[in-house]
Amino acid sequence: MTTSASGGRPAGAPAPAGRRPLRKADETPAGRRPPWVLLAPACAAALFALLPLGYLAVRAFERGPRFAWNVVGDERTLQLLTRSLSLTAVVVAASLVLGVSLAWLTVRTALPGARTWSVLVTLPLAVPSYVAAFTWLASAPRTAGFAGAALVLTLVSFPYVHLPVAAALRGIDPAQEEAARSLGHGPIRTFLRVTLPQLRPAAAGGALLVALYVLSDFGAVSLMRYDTFTRAIHTSYRASFDRTPAAALSVVLVVMTVALVAAETRTRGRAGHARTGGGAARPAVPVPLGPWRIPALAWCATLVAASVAFPLGTLGYWLAVGNSATWDLGTLGEAAWTTLGVAAAGAALTTLLALPVGVIAARHRGRGARLLEQAAYAGHALPGITVALSLVFFAVRYAYPLYQQLPLLIGAYAVLFLPVAVAATRAAVLQAPPVLEDVARSLGRSPLRVLREVTVPLAAPGVAAGAALTFVVCMKELPATLLLRPTDVDTLATRLWTETGSGSFAAAAPYAAALILLAAVPSYLLGRHRT
Amino acid sequence: MRRPSARRITALLAAGLLLPVLASCGSGDDKGGSAEGGDSALVIYSGRNEKLVKPILDKLEKAVGAKVEVRYGDSAELAAQILEEGDRTKAGLFFSQDAGALGALSKEGMLAKLPQSSLDEVDTAYRGEKGDWVGLSGRVRVLAYNPDKVAEEKVPDRVADVTKPEWKGKVGFAPTNASFQAFVTGMRVLEGDDATRLWLKGLKANGKVYTNNLATLDAVESGEVSLGLVNHYYWYERVAEKGEDKVGAQLKFLPGGDPGALINVAGVGILKEGGQAETAQKAVDYLLSKEAQTYFADTTKEYPLAAGVTSNVEGLPPFDSLESPDIDLGKLESLQETLAMLQDVGLV
Amino acid sequence: MTDHGNELRIEQLTKSYSSGAPVLQGLDLTVPGGTLAAVLGPSGCGKTTLLRVIAGFLRADTGTVTLDGRTLAGPGVHLPPERRRIGIVPQEGALFPHLSVARNVAFGLTGLDSGGRRRRTADMLDLVGLAGYGDRMPHELSGGQQQRVALARALAPRPALVLLDEPFNALDSALRTGVRADVRSALRATGATALLVTHDQQEALSTADLVAVVRQGRVAQCDTPQDLYRRPADPWVAGFVGDAVLLPATVHGSGSTATTPLGTVALAAPSEGRSTGTVVLRPEQLQLTHADTEEAVRGTVRDVFYYGHDAKVTLSVQGVDDPVDVRVAGPLSVGPGQEAAIRVTGEATLHP
Repeated sequence: MTTSASGGRPAGAPAPAGRRPLRKADETPAGRRPPWVLLAPACAAALFALLPLGYLAVRAFERGPRFAWNVVGDERTLQLLTRSLSLTAVVVAASLVLGVSLAWLTVRTALPGARTWSVLVTLPLAVPSYVAAFTWLASAPRTAGFAGAALVLTLVSFPYVHLPVAAALRGIDPAQEEAARSLGHGPIRTFLRVTLPQLRPAAAGGALLVALYVLSDFGAVSLMRYDTFTRAIHTSYRASFDRTPAAALSVVLVVMTVALVAAETRTRGRAGHARTGGGAARPAVPVPLGPWRIPALAWCATLVAASVAFPLGTLGYWLAVGNSATWDLGTLGEAAWTTLGVAAAGAALTTLLALPVGVIAARHRGRGARLLEQAAYAGHALPGITVALSLVFFAVRYAYPLYQQLPLLIGAYAVLFLPVAVAATRAAVLQAPPVLEDVARSLGRSPLRVLREVTVPLAAPGVAAGAALTFVVCMKELPATLLLRPTDVDTLATRLWTETGSGSFAAAAPYAAALILLAAVPSYLLGRHRT
Repeated sequence: MRRPSARRITALLAAGLLLPVLASCGSGDDKGGSAEGGDSALVIYSGRNEKLVKPILDKLEKAVGAKVEVRYGDSAELAAQILEEGDRTKAGLFFSQDAGALGALSKEGMLAKLPQSSLDEVDTAYRGEKGDWVGLSGRVRVLAYNPDKVAEEKVPDRVADVTKPEWKGKVGFAPTNASFQAFVTGMRVLEGDDATRLWLKGLKANGKVYTNNLATLDAVESGEVSLGLVNHYYWYERVAEKGEDKVGAQLKFLPGGDPGALINVAGVGILKEGGQAETAQKAVDYLLSKEAQTYFADTTKEYPLAAGVTSNVEGLPPFDSLESPDIDLGKLESLQETLAMLQDVGLV
Repeated sequence: MTDHGNELRIEQLTKSYSSGAPVLQGLDLTVPGGTLAAVLGPSGCGKTTLLRVIAGFLRADTGTVTLDGRTLAGPGVHLPPERRRIGIVPQEGALFPHLSVARNVAFGLTGLDSGGRRRRTADMLDLVGLAGYGDRMPHELSGGQQQRVALARALAPRPALVLLDEPFNALDSALRTGVRADVRSALRATGATALLVTHDQQEALSTADLVAVVRQGRVAQCDTPQDLYRRPADPWVAGFVGDAVLLPATVHGSGSTATTPLGTVALAAPSEGRSTGTVVLRPEQLQLTHADTEEAVRGTVRDVFYYGHDAKVTLSVQGVDDPVDVRVAGPLSVGPGQEAAIRVTGEATLHP
């Protein structure tokens, strides 16, 4: 029998019945329960991240729910909530504008020196918010208040949006944009209607980290004298030495975090979940900028100048002219080495704990998987002091030998920064097609070995990027480090604190500069990293 | 293709991460060992800055004849940490920047009663009501002024006067500074909340805000403002560093029990449950000794509060001559309301 | 390798998703050992779900899957994928991008020493015609080569069954025929039982020994390609596996012939007492003759589709609602608008 060459459509026959709206079952791992080799460590990591919440529950309600409710229901609390949320909204919006515009310029356009710019715009990650705040305050005291806090926080946090959005832009097949153009959409409408919706999950993930960062930040808002929730929590410790109201207020922060995380989960929708098709997209033809080249360059240059060059320049100026800046190279070297050590250990532990949570978040879609991921985030908006005190509480009771030892400090970093690593791991695992794991299973590998031999190697570059980011944020961490470090152990951040506490900011300049320069190295690698 | 480069970066990162981990583990063990070793060791939680007190605490180690470990931090945060540690606290001695943090521990009954001999070294005004903490050194609020901008006799006698229209744009202050806040609390105790609130509003309208006392003093020196509300010792430190003729500011100690002349103290208390009471007591005795008190007088330019030591700092008015307001320092604990007021007025 | 081993037997398989929509609704299928069977169906019919249930990535609600006498899935039994001895060849190959071709192929060879592993890898690459490609990375191969490596990888551990999930979809049509032939000969050479999932009836008919047509989660018909095409179980199957001409028919007394608008046709099977029904003919069973031919039914040419080796002519015929397709080999003598006569050859199937 010869094959019919009729193109396959049965012309004289009734159309095939039984078409159902049901999609192909390609995404099915979502339905399966995660294997215990993933589930057990993921639950352990989530429980670890929930420790501060346990502490808050004890402290907030130790004087009964009525007391806690009075603190939370106070008019002032509502005021602070509004202030915190408006600051968060402005910083998130500004970070989105900055991050997305820079990602588009550096990835999709013929911007001169695009690759260099893409590295330069990740360097703000290396600048601690309190250093940025004090350099701005010193040069422009009038920025104090809402404007200054928003400015500083935006300038240090927009890379959280830029990095994932740039990675997502590289992953979008330019053929889609070409199709939109051919359908009569101009470049801007194409960007808004085709490209932007696909960037939404990446942008939302970044925006979530920015939002939680702003909510938890104390350094910038206290220097800028803008009163937020975090400041109220600190004030409660400082002014009344009372941990109960501080805990009650912290619970409100946790509730806000859960709401934000849930909102972010919604934006993911179905689209961002499993990328089908393993074929690498054809690289996009860069959009010519034409007369917009100069404004585009100016935009990039202004942002890099304001976020990196300005604080570094100010520190350099203080180093050059300040007489109170003394170069104690021994102390500086030791602090730098300690900083690298604890930050590296923090990044390693955080990444390890984030791995199972991130894999489950990427590969499974049930309510349990979502809860696990949300648990990892729950404490992320808490100020460092609250997390530190909660670990003091637990360590003193249940792990006394670890108290004021390095392992506890490193554990604190993991609690504080787990979401940073989880977000990176999840994104990295999503990039690895799930079908590869199925193939590996069918070739006789157990789930654990599939994880080790397929998922992790494939996700490794992205996981490493997450580790680098965690490394940077650990290096900059101050409040928890101050409380939990072993006696006599100093990081650059704690030295910085000591110097600013006794003298002028200028005296702290060597430590601030060293911190930024050291943190710039992993930031630089992050900027170079391509998924 | 990018894979090789991504792999290289991963390897580099891994190496970069591992090396310091190993190194820090090594050094961490050393420190851990010393922390555990020797039960006669004294652990001091110090809310006073390392730069200020490390030399005297080094001497203290010799004086008490035991290993001394000092954990530096913010006074309030260290107090919160001790409260969280409860009866398993590692601290034997708490050295606080201000009376408030000591009062908080005292209120929770965490401080041990000091022997009367120690307490008697210090005026009753500068020690805890329950006799479980004692002040070591005092600092007084003053008005710094720039002689080029304002003649000595024109400098107000009352801090209340800086809100007058003639000082518009000419007063510098640091509202986030703890001493400033203690002073505002003092004003509330002395003159009532309404008057204080009114005064703060006037100050906000007239004044310029700085991040701390030093920045305020800088502004007075440079002439950016004519007056500055600061603690006295910053000026004396600067004079010691540069010489009086090079310092472009002078101080006025306010007379007549004005709240602007409030005295704050730094002090110590022994932790009941620290298990180091004996060594800690030796440490307290040392800090009240002539040697230590002289150190505070000479180095930090504060007023020594014990051992009959008087400051030799040139130009510093004798402690007895200060006409500070008569306030129970314990009442300065009501900082909470002060902060609420500062927030209401929009200063913090 | 015996022909009797490695038989795949699926009984009463059901599977619903959490949304409640049933996907498999009591599916039965038996594939004799060493056979290359195709599962053919429109998208959404459940064929991918079936494949994933067989592979062990999904758990069936009820029903059993046995392979070579071993129960893989059944009441209280769910063997994990890694213990089923089932190889899979996914769409687009899904090679591990971080491993070389040789390491991809050797991935499933866990029980062998390194020498054995090397030999087996080389044999497999040889089998798929890619000897010497072991050191390449997947991205250095063409789509067809990647697909053949994926097959070598699946076959290397000597699986009892190989599942191929629309493996030729991503290939362009010129390449597809060649790769398809290579895959078939490689499968034949190893004697493995294989299940090819596809929505392309040409691919199913030309590649498989046995074709199971799946509709709404059930097997509508399972037969050899010839029988499936010649004797479809119902008009839907007929239409799905090729072009079909459906005609209303009245059965003659003897039950071996029927009258249709195109004249009398012979029935492939006795009518079993039915007196009317629909008969299914294939376009190539119809012949065009001159319009003045005696005893022939006439129609008007509506359209002509020319393919080179043959052509399809669509006519409207009195008494038939839908246009009638006729396949014409050789030179064309008619054009749109002209009259032509139609004659029926061969046998037709009768359906209620």
